[in-house]
Amino acid sequence: MSDPADTQLVPPSSVVLVSGGSRGLGLAIVTDLLDAGVRVAAFARTVTPELEKLAAERPDRVHVGSVDVTDLRAAQAFVREVEQRLGPIDGIVNNAAVGQDSLHVHTATDDIARIIETNLTAPLQLTRLVVRRMLGKGLRGRIVNITSICAQRGFPGLVAYSATKGGMDAATRSLARELGGRMLVNAVAPGFFASEMSAVLGPTQLDQIVRRTPSGHLTDPLEVVPVVRMLLREHTNINGQVIVVDGAASI
Amino acid sequence: MNELSRAQIRDLMAQVLKNQDKELPADDAAQLREIGFRSLDFSELALRVEDETGEELNFDAPGLRRIATVGDVLDFLVELQHQ
Repeated sequence: MSDPADTQLVPPSSVVLVSGGSRGLGLAIVTDLLDAGVRVAAFARTVTPELEKLAAERPDRVHVGSVDVTDLRAAQAFVREVEQRLGPIDGIVNNAAVGQDSLHVHTATDDIARIIETNLTAPLQLTRLVVRRMLGKGLRGRIVNITSICAQRGFPGLVAYSATKGGMDAATRSLARELGGRMLVNAVAPGFFASEMSAVLGPTQLDQIVRRTPSGHLTDPLEVVPVVRMLLREHTNINGQVIVVDGAASI
Repeated sequence: MNELSRAQIRDLMAQVLKNQDKELPADDAAQLREIGFRSLDFSELALRVEDETGEELNFDAPGLRRIATVGDVLDFLVELQHQ
């Protein structure tokens, strides 16, 4: 089958699905996109009071739900609700993930399977689900995968976690190729946050990272959010890339 | 199973092209390359057929490489529904 380049531009996303949108970086992304005028659908295992509040403030532009990202049926039902309430989804942020804080040899095999299921299998399934709907409607859209600097640099205690993030970086590139310019597919790889999952690194390791970071501080979710917004909203030709946001700690 | 006929698939194919301001020629021998029907257009068409029949159509990429004409597309999708 012939495949000349598709020269039509991918418009900015107007209805964005954010997985794991109830706290931390996910919540910051949801808040920022709402401020930018985007309609946002956010789900998480547990809907926090913060996310409830956003939904209550802008009922016409937010749809939230309690969905475990590994429950494909529930995700499917949520996507249908979103389309009815907010319109067809034309942007996804794969943000939901579980962390790890255990040396590989001491990680239970069930835990390894759970990390891979949540951080790799589930986002691939969710992406498949939403892309199928977009393609079926002839829509163009954007996909942003939140990965991690762990995908590119080694850190003890994060073996399975790093494997899943590296997997998503790789999938980002192949998906960008496969979707032939109908969708822009990119990943954002933050360095360590002072809070949340960085609890996986001890204070000594965090101090060491700060010392090695030219900008002198750990990454803050608010420093990542504008990059995600740019990838969803701006006219750039960025496609299939992993953008590291870590103050050059890894350079 | 609610199967689509060749003519019904042809109508859906015409819609996919029409959304891009392109026209589907009446001739089954028309080359996809010339009418600008790309592999993702094929995916879009397959998903539209799925929507109509309610059956998921999964297939491997090598089968697609042999597809060059409008008739090939229709044959492939008619055949796929039987599998």
